[in-house]
Amino acid sequence: MMATIFATTLLAFVSGWRRHGRWSLLFFFASLALAGGLFLYEIYSPEYGFHMPWLQTYDARPAGSAVCT
Amino acid sequence: MHLKLDILAETRAASTDRRLAAINHTAMLLMMVAIAAILTVAMIFQYVKGELPCPLCLLERVALFGVCFGIMRNFRHGFAYRNTGLSLLWTIFLLVVSVRQSLLDIYPRPGHAYIGSPIFGIHMPVWSIIIALALLVAYAIKVTLVGSDAFMRTADIATFPTLKRIADAVSLYVIAILTINAVSVVVQCGFGECHTFGYKLLQ
Repeated sequence: MMATIFATTLLAFVSGWRRHGRWSLLFFFASLALAGGLFLYEIYSPEYGFHMPWLQTYDARPAGSAVCT
Repeated sequence: MHLKLDILAETRAASTDRRLAAINHTAMLLMMVAIAAILTVAMIFQYVKGELPCPLCLLERVALFGVCFGIMRNFRHGFAYRNTGLSLLWTIFLLVVSVRQSLLDIYPRPGHAYIGSPIFGIHMPVWSIIIALALLVAYAIKVTLVGSDAFMRTADIATFPTLKRIADAVSLYVIAILTINAVSVVVQCGFGECHTFGYKLLQ
């Protein structure tokens, strides 16, 4: 997948350099879509999904016991 | 007399437009040079220090190449805000990926810690956030200072021969390092998932 993303990005550059405007845009959006898909795949965890529980904090005190000073 | 003043005013306006166009092209070129330098440093860390890039690190590299793509199109196809939009899309992608990666590694857990050597005490994902924000700020400043793009239509980079030569050279350099990265990714990952244990095709 990563190889495909780099290949499409390279094709976008080469066609852009050769002034093939439409082809370069086509490869550009293909690489952007593939990169977005791979990013979601990489950050998805079967255990947590897209959550990051190590960042979550919670108030351990019983509800209503918080005192404003 | 009036005709003379009109001609003088027109000449002065054309000169200002040309100066603004030169500032715009130079700013774009400097951004491209900065990104090329960042990517070169990343490659030095990979090939000299043996620090293999993780999948999200590779996506950040793709994003930096994507920003260069929009700039290169401005040089090759003439100026258009559409090309700036293409660069901004990849800048936002870079920001999203780097923020997520920083949040993944911010709390050290087994199998999750910042990988690679820090530079000035800051690791690569955090640098990527700084770079993405710097790019957004640079674009914001450029649009604010240079403003309207009317003057760009008559002042293509081809009308500045020195800038054009440098822009072509930097664009070709970016294509060259992208080619090296593409080959390197195939050697590291094959056509499957990427890992930082070693180069898959060399094992």
